[in-house]
Amino acid sequence: MEDMSGKGTTTDDVSILQERLATVERSAAEKERQLERYAADLRETFKRERERRHELRRSYMATVRALCNAVEARDAYTGKHAERVAAYGMEIARVLDAPFTDDPEVEFGFLLHDVGKVAVPDSILWKPEPLTPEERLLMERHPVVGWEILREIDFLGEAKLVVRHHHERWDGAGYPDGLAGDTIPLAARVFAVADVLDALTTIRPYRPPSPLMEARAMIAESSGSQFDPEVVAAFLEIPPERLDHIRVEVGDA
Amino acid sequence: MRSVLIVDDDPFIRKLVSTTLEDVAGFQLHEAANGVEAVECASEVHPELVFLDIDMPRMDGIEACRLIRAQDNGAAKATIVMLTAAGAQENETRARSAGADLFLTKPFSPLDLLRLVDELG
Repeated sequence: MEDMSGKGTTTDDVSILQERLATVERSAAEKERQLERYAADLRETFKRERERRHELRRSYMATVRALCNAVEARDAYTGKHAERVAAYGMEIARVLDAPFTDDPEVEFGFLLHDVGKVAVPDSILWKPEPLTPEERLLMERHPVVGWEILREIDFLGEAKLVVRHHHERWDGAGYPDGLAGDTIPLAARVFAVADVLDALTTIRPYRPPSPLMEARAMIAESSGSQFDPEVVAAFLEIPPERLDHIRVEVGDA
Repeated sequence: MRSVLIVDDDPFIRKLVSTTLEDVAGFQLHEAANGVEAVECASEVHPELVFLDIDMPRMDGIEACRLIRAQDNGAAKATIVMLTAAGAQENETRARSAGADLFLTKPFSPLDLLRLVDELG
Protein backbone atom coordinates (compact mmCIF):
# COMPACT_ATOMS: atom_id res chain seq x y z
CA MET A 1 0.00 0.00 0.00
CA GLU A 2 2.72 2.38 1.10
CA ASP A 3 4.70 1.33 -1.91
CA MET A 4 1.76 1.86 -4.28
CA SER A 5 0.92 5.29 -2.89
CA GLY A 6 4.55 6.30 -3.05
CA LYS A 7 4.65 5.23 -6.68
CA GLY A 8 1.34 7.00 -7.42
CA THR A 9 2.59 10.28 -5.93
CA THR A 10 5.65 10.09 -8.09
CA THR A 11 3.54 9.72 -11.23
CA ASP A 12 1.39 12.68 -10.16
CA ASP A 13 4.47 14.74 -9.45
CA VAL A 14 5.77 14.01 -12.91
CA SER A 15 2.54 15.06 -14.58
CA ILE A 16 2.34 18.23 -12.45
CA LEU A 17 5.92 19.05 -13.28
CA GLN A 18 5.28 18.38 -16.95
CA GLU A 19 2.30 20.73 -16.87
CA ARG A 20 4.32 23.43 -15.15
CA LEU A 21 7.11 22.95 -17.64
CA ALA A 22 4.63 23.34 -20.48
CA THR A 23 3.30 26.57 -18.92
CA VAL A 24 6.82 27.91 -18.44
CA GLU A 25 7.69 27.01 -22.01
CA ARG A 26 4.55 28.71 -23.35
CA SER A 27 5.30 31.80 -21.35
CA ALA A 28 8.92 31.80 -22.52
CA ALA A 29 7.79 31.44 -26.13
CA GLU A 30 5.40 34.39 -25.68
CA LYS A 31 8.18 36.51 -24.21
CA GLU A 32 10.43 35.54 -27.07
CA ARG A 33 7.82 36.56 -29.66
CA GLN A 34 7.29 39.84 -27.83
CA LEU A 35 11.01 40.58 -27.80
CA GLU A 36 11.27 39.69 -31.48
CA ARG A 37 8.55 42.25 -32.12
CA TYR A 38 10.58 44.87 -30.28
CA ALA A 39 13.66 43.96 -32.28
CA ALA A 40 11.70 44.19 -35.54
CA ASP A 41 10.43 47.66 -34.62
CA LEU A 42 13.92 48.72 -33.65
CA ARG A 43 15.32 47.61 -37.00
CA GLU A 44 12.53 49.41 -38.82
CA THR A 45 13.04 52.58 -36.80
CA PHE A 46 16.77 52.47 -37.41
CA LYS A 47 16.25 52.06 -41.15
CA ARG A 48 13.87 55.00 -41.30
CA GLU A 49 16.18 57.07 -39.15
CA ARG A 50 19.06 56.37 -41.52
CA GLU A 51 16.99 57.33 -44.55
CA ARG A 52 15.99 60.56 -42.86
CA ARG A 53 19.59 61.30 -42.01
CA HIS A 54 20.58 60.87 -45.66
CA GLU A 55 17.71 63.05 -46.73
CA LEU A 56 18.74 65.70 -44.24
CA ARG A 57 22.34 65.55 -45.46
CA ARG A 58 21.17 65.96 -49.06
CA SER A 59 19.19 69.05 -48.16
CA TYR A 60 22.12 70.47 -46.13
CA MET A 61 24.29 69.91 -49.17
CA ALA A 62 21.75 71.61 -51.45
CA THR A 63 21.57 74.58 -49.08
CA VAL A 64 25.33 74.89 -48.97
CA ARG A 65 25.53 74.68 -52.76
CA ALA A 66 22.85 77.34 -53.14
CA LEU A 67 24.88 79.64 -50.89
CA CYS A 68 28.05 78.86 -52.88
CA ASN A 69 26.29 79.54 -56.16
CA ALA A 70 25.12 82.88 -54.84
CA VAL A 71 28.72 83.79 -54.01
CA GLU A 72 30.18 82.51 -57.25
CA ALA A 73 27.49 84.04 -59.43
CA ARG A 74 29.22 87.38 -58.78
CA ASP A 75 32.61 86.20 -59.86
CA ALA A 76 32.67 84.69 -63.33
CA TYR A 77 36.40 84.00 -63.17
CA THR A 78 36.43 81.64 -60.24
CA GLY A 79 33.56 79.54 -61.57
CA LYS A 80 33.70 76.19 -59.88
CA HIS A 81 36.63 77.29 -57.73
CA ALA A 82 34.94 76.30 -54.47
CA GLU A 83 34.11 72.81 -55.69
CA ARG A 84 37.61 72.21 -57.00
CA VAL A 85 39.17 73.50 -53.78
CA ALA A 86 36.86 71.26 -51.77
CA ALA A 87 37.88 68.25 -53.87
CA TYR A 88 41.62 69.07 -53.57
CA GLY A 89 41.23 69.71 -49.84
CA MET A 90 39.46 66.41 -49.19
CA GLU A 91 42.17 64.62 -51.22
CA ILE A 92 44.92 66.16 -49.07
CA ALA A 93 42.93 65.28 -45.94
CA ARG A 94 42.82 61.64 -47.07
CA VAL A 95 46.59 61.47 -47.55
CA LEU A 96 47.12 63.21 -44.19
CA ASP A 97 44.63 60.79 -42.66
CA ALA A 98 43.12 63.87 -40.98
CA PRO A 99 40.33 63.24 -38.46
CA PHE A 100 37.87 65.10 -40.69
CA THR A 101 38.49 62.96 -43.78
CA ASP A 102 34.90 61.75 -43.85
CA ASP A 103 33.40 64.78 -42.17
CA PRO A 104 30.89 66.54 -44.40
CA GLU A 105 31.08 69.63 -42.17
CA VAL A 106 34.61 70.41 -43.26
CA GLU A 107 33.76 69.92 -46.90
CA PHE A 108 30.94 72.43 -46.40
CA GLY A 109 33.52 74.82 -44.95
CA PHE A 110 35.72 74.39 -48.02
CA LEU A 111 32.77 75.08 -50.28
CA LEU A 112 31.62 78.13 -48.33
CA HIS A 113 35.01 79.69 -47.59
CA ASP A 114 34.34 82.91 -49.52
CA VAL A 115 30.72 83.44 -48.52
CA GLY A 116 31.81 86.64 -46.73
CA LYS A 117 32.65 88.18 -50.10
CA VAL A 118 28.97 89.05 -50.49
CA ALA A 119 29.87 92.03 -48.29
CA VAL A 120 32.76 93.19 -50.51
CA PRO A 121 31.67 95.86 -53.04
CA ASP A 122 32.00 94.96 -56.74
CA SER A 123 34.37 97.90 -57.26
CA ILE A 124 36.87 96.26 -54.92
CA LEU A 125 36.21 92.63 -55.81
CA TRP A 126 36.81 93.28 -59.51
CA LYS A 127 39.38 96.04 -59.32
CA PRO A 128 42.19 95.16 -61.76
CA GLU A 129 44.68 97.56 -60.12
CA PRO A 130 46.26 96.95 -56.72
CA LEU A 131 43.95 97.77 -53.81
CA THR A 132 44.46 100.85 -51.62
CA PRO A 133 45.12 100.12 -47.94
CA GLU A 134 41.47 100.97 -47.10
CA GLU A 135 40.16 98.70 -49.83
CA ARG A 136 42.50 95.93 -48.71
CA LEU A 137 41.16 96.25 -45.18
CA LEU A 138 37.60 95.87 -46.45
CA MET A 139 38.58 92.89 -48.60
CA GLU A 140 40.32 91.21 -45.68
CA ARG A 141 37.19 91.36 -43.57
CA HIS A 142 35.53 88.65 -45.70
CA PRO A 143 36.57 85.66 -43.52
CA VAL A 144 35.06 87.28 -40.42
CA VAL A 145 31.95 88.40 -42.32
CA GLY A 146 31.54 84.83 -43.63
CA TRP A 147 31.95 83.42 -40.15
CA GLU A 148 29.32 85.82 -38.85
CA ILE A 149 26.90 84.92 -41.64
CA LEU A 150 27.18 81.22 -40.77
CA ARG A 151 27.50 81.58 -37.01
CA GLU A 152 23.97 80.48 -36.16
CA ILE A 153 24.00 77.38 -38.37
CA ASP A 154 24.73 74.53 -35.98
CA PHE A 155 25.23 71.81 -38.55
CA LEU A 156 28.22 73.64 -40.03
CA GLY A 157 30.27 73.11 -36.84
CA GLU A 158 33.98 73.01 -37.82
CA ALA A 159 33.15 74.47 -41.21
CA LYS A 160 32.78 77.89 -39.63
CA LEU A 161 36.39 77.75 -38.45
CA VAL A 162 37.54 76.99 -41.99
CA VAL A 163 35.62 80.03 -43.21
CA ARG A 164 37.13 82.28 -40.55
CA HIS A 165 40.71 81.05 -40.82
CA HIS A 166 41.17 80.23 -44.48
CA HIS A 167 43.55 83.18 -44.97
CA GLU A 168 45.76 82.52 -41.95
CA ARG A 169 49.41 81.68 -42.65
CA TRP A 170 51.62 79.13 -40.92
CA ASP A 171 54.11 81.93 -40.03
CA GLY A 172 51.36 84.06 -38.45
CA ALA A 173 51.38 86.74 -41.16
CA GLY A 174 47.85 85.93 -42.36
CA TYR A 175 44.46 87.33 -41.40
CA PRO A 176 41.99 87.92 -39.72
CA ASP A 177 43.43 86.70 -36.40
CA GLY A 178 47.12 86.32 -37.24
CA LEU A 179 47.13 82.76 -35.91
CA ALA A 180 50.35 80.77 -36.41
CA GLY A 181 51.30 77.08 -36.58
CA ASP A 182 49.13 74.54 -34.83
CA THR A 183 46.75 77.17 -33.46
CA ILE A 184 45.29 77.41 -36.97
CA PRO A 185 42.64 74.66 -37.30
CA LEU A 186 44.03 71.77 -39.37
CA ALA A 187 41.17 71.98 -41.85
CA ALA A 188 42.04 75.63 -42.52
CA ARG A 189 45.74 74.72 -43.01
CA VAL A 190 44.71 72.08 -45.53
CA PHE A 191 42.39 74.53 -47.22
CA ALA A 192 45.17 77.11 -47.66
CA VAL A 193 47.18 74.71 -49.84
CA ALA A 194 44.16 73.60 -51.88
CA ASP A 195 43.11 77.22 -52.43
CA VAL A 196 46.49 78.36 -53.72
CA LEU A 197 46.76 75.27 -55.94
CA ASP A 198 43.49 76.15 -57.62
CA ALA A 199 44.32 79.84 -57.88
CA LEU A 200 47.63 79.00 -59.61
CA THR A 201 46.26 76.41 -62.03
CA THR A 202 43.20 78.28 -63.32
CA ILE A 203 42.93 81.33 -65.56
CA ARG A 204 42.71 84.63 -63.70
CA PRO A 205 42.16 88.09 -65.18
CA TYR A 206 45.70 89.12 -64.36
CA ARG A 207 47.64 86.04 -65.53
CA PRO A 208 47.47 82.77 -67.43
CA PRO A 209 47.35 79.48 -65.52
CA SER A 210 50.63 77.90 -64.41
CA PRO A 211 51.31 74.32 -65.32
CA LEU A 212 50.57 71.94 -62.47
CA MET A 213 54.21 71.02 -61.87
CA GLU A 214 55.11 74.68 -61.50
CA ALA A 215 52.25 75.20 -59.04
CA ARG A 216 53.47 72.24 -56.99
CA ALA A 217 56.98 73.67 -56.90
CA MET A 218 55.66 77.08 -55.79
CA ILE A 219 53.65 75.50 -52.99
CA ALA A 220 56.67 73.44 -51.92
CA GLU A 221 58.70 76.65 -51.71
CA SER A 222 56.18 78.21 -49.32
CA SER A 223 56.24 75.20 -46.98
CA GLY A 224 56.97 76.44 -43.46
CA SER A 225 56.24 80.08 -44.30
CA GLN A 226 52.76 80.28 -45.80
CA PHE A 227 51.88 76.60 -45.34
CA ASP A 228 52.06 73.86 -42.71
CA PRO A 229 55.04 71.66 -43.78
CA GLU A 230 53.15 68.47 -42.94
CA VAL A 231 50.21 69.48 -45.12
CA VAL A 232 52.57 70.37 -47.97
CA ALA A 233 54.33 67.00 -47.60
CA ALA A 234 50.97 65.23 -47.82
CA PHE A 235 50.02 67.35 -50.82
CA LEU A 236 53.25 66.47 -52.64
CA GLU A 237 52.48 62.78 -52.13
CA ILE A 238 49.38 63.09 -54.32
CA PRO A 239 50.27 62.01 -57.89
CA PRO A 240 49.93 65.00 -60.29
CA GLU A 241 47.66 62.90 -62.54
CA ARG A 242 45.23 62.59 -59.63
CA LEU A 243 45.08 66.40 -59.24
CA ASP A 244 44.58 66.80 -62.99
CA HIS A 245 41.82 64.26 -62.85
CA ILE A 246 40.01 66.20 -60.09
CA ARG A 247 40.33 69.46 -62.06
CA VAL A 248 38.83 67.89 -65.17
CA GLU A 249 36.15 65.99 -63.27
CA VAL A 250 34.82 69.00 -61.35
CA GLY A 251 35.04 71.06 -64.52
CA ASP A 252 36.28 74.54 -65.30
CA ALA A 253 34.54 77.87 -65.18
CA MET B 1 0.42 64.82 -13.37
CA ARG B 2 -1.34 62.65 -15.97
CA SER B 3 -1.36 58.96 -15.10
CA VAL B 4 -1.01 55.78 -17.09
CA LEU B 5 -1.92 52.44 -15.51
CA ILE B 6 -0.28 49.26 -16.77
CA VAL B 7 -2.02 46.03 -15.74
CA ASP B 8 -0.64 42.56 -16.47
CA ASP B 9 0.08 39.56 -14.25
CA ASP B 10 3.33 39.03 -16.16
CA PRO B 11 5.99 41.36 -14.71
CA PHE B 12 7.88 41.01 -17.97
CA ILE B 13 5.07 42.67 -19.92
CA ARG B 14 4.62 45.38 -17.28
CA LYS B 15 8.32 46.12 -17.41
CA LEU B 16 8.31 46.19 -21.21
CA VAL B 17 5.38 48.59 -21.41
CA SER B 18 6.67 50.85 -18.65
CA THR B 19 10.19 50.94 -20.12
CA THR B 20 8.76 51.81 -23.52
CA LEU B 21 6.68 54.65 -22.11
CA GLU B 22 9.22 55.80 -19.54
CA ASP B 23 10.51 58.83 -21.40
CA VAL B 24 7.18 59.97 -22.77
CA ALA B 25 6.91 63.41 -21.27
CA GLY B 26 4.20 64.25 -18.81
CA PHE B 27 3.08 60.76 -17.78
CA GLN B 28 3.27 59.15 -14.39
CA LEU B 29 3.36 55.36 -14.78
CA HIS B 30 1.58 52.99 -12.37
CA GLU B 31 1.49 49.20 -12.40
CA ALA B 32 -0.93 46.55 -11.18
CA ALA B 33 -0.65 42.74 -11.34
CA ASN B 34 -4.34 41.75 -11.47
CA GLY B 35 -7.87 43.13 -11.83
CA VAL B 36 -8.41 43.81 -8.14
CA GLU B 37 -5.23 45.85 -7.87
CA ALA B 38 -6.12 47.62 -11.12
CA VAL B 39 -9.53 48.78 -9.90
CA GLU B 40 -8.01 49.97 -6.61
CA CYS B 41 -5.18 51.81 -8.29
CA ALA B 42 -7.52 53.40 -10.86
CA SER B 43 -9.69 54.87 -8.12
CA GLU B 44 -6.61 56.41 -6.53
CA VAL B 45 -4.69 57.82 -9.49
CA HIS B 46 -7.52 58.47 -12.02
CA PRO B 47 -5.50 57.33 -15.04
CA GLU B 48 -6.03 58.88 -18.46
CA LEU B 49 -4.89 55.68 -20.11
CA VAL B 50 -5.08 52.06 -18.95
CA PHE B 51 -3.34 49.07 -20.52
CA LEU B 52 -5.27 46.02 -19.41
CA ASP B 53 -4.32 42.36 -19.86
CA ILE B 54 -7.27 39.96 -20.05
CA ASP B 55 -6.20 36.67 -18.45
CA MET B 56 -5.21 37.46 -14.88
CA PRO B 57 -5.68 35.77 -11.47
CA ARG B 58 -8.18 37.11 -8.88
CA MET B 59 -10.05 39.27 -11.41
CA ASP B 60 -9.68 39.26 -15.19
CA GLY B 61 -9.24 42.34 -17.35
CA ILE B 62 -12.78 42.37 -18.65
CA GLU B 63 -14.31 42.56 -15.18
CA ALA B 64 -11.71 45.17 -14.17
CA CYS B 65 -12.62 47.20 -17.26
CA ARG B 66 -16.31 47.13 -16.31
CA LEU B 67 -15.55 48.22 -12.73
CA ILE B 68 -13.22 51.04 -13.80
CA ARG B 69 -15.89 52.35 -16.19
CA ALA B 70 -18.41 52.25 -13.32
CA GLN B 71 -16.26 54.40 -10.99
CA ASP B 72 -17.60 57.85 -10.17
CA ASN B 73 -14.29 59.62 -10.80
CA GLY B 74 -11.90 60.59 -13.63
CA ALA B 75 -10.94 56.96 -14.20
CA ALA B 76 -14.36 56.29 -15.79
CA LYS B 77 -13.33 58.47 -18.75
CA ALA B 78 -9.94 56.76 -19.23
CA THR B 79 -8.91 55.40 -22.60
CA ILE B 80 -8.80 51.66 -21.96
CA VAL B 81 -6.52 49.56 -24.15
CA MET B 82 -6.91 45.79 -23.83
CA LEU B 83 -3.83 43.64 -24.29
CA THR B 84 -5.17 40.57 -26.06
CA ALA B 85 -3.73 37.32 -27.31
CA ALA B 86 -3.96 36.69 -31.04
CA GLY B 87 -7.09 34.78 -32.09
CA ALA B 88 -9.18 35.51 -28.99
CA GLN B 89 -12.13 37.11 -30.81
CA GLU B 90 -14.84 36.39 -28.26
CA ASN B 91 -12.71 38.12 -25.60
CA GLU B 92 -12.61 41.21 -27.77
CA THR B 93 -16.40 41.29 -28.10
CA ARG B 94 -16.83 40.89 -24.35
CA ALA B 95 -14.21 43.56 -23.62
CA ARG B 96 -15.91 45.98 -25.97
CA SER B 97 -19.24 45.60 -24.20
CA ALA B 98 -17.38 46.06 -20.89
CA GLY B 99 -16.23 49.48 -22.17
CA ALA B 100 -12.80 48.86 -23.77
CA ASP B 101 -11.75 51.44 -26.38
CA LEU B 102 -8.80 49.89 -28.15
CA PHE B 103 -6.99 46.60 -28.56
CA LEU B 104 -3.30 45.78 -28.75
CA THR B 105 -2.59 42.23 -29.83
CA LYS B 106 0.33 40.46 -28.19
CA PRO B 107 3.05 40.39 -29.27
CA PHE B 108 2.41 44.12 -29.58
CA SER B 109 4.51 46.62 -31.51
CA PRO B 110 6.34 49.14 -29.30
CA LEU B 111 5.89 51.72 -32.07
CA ASP B 112 2.12 51.21 -31.95
CA LEU B 113 2.32 51.64 -28.21
CA LEU B 114 4.19 54.92 -28.52
CA ARG B 115 1.94 56.17 -31.31
CA LEU B 116 -1.10 55.43 -29.20
CA VAL B 117 0.23 57.49 -26.30
CA ASP B 118 1.37 60.23 -28.67
CA GLU B 119 -2.10 60.53 -30.22
CA LEU B 120 -3.56 60.89 -26.78
CA GLY B 121 -1.70 64.22 -26.70
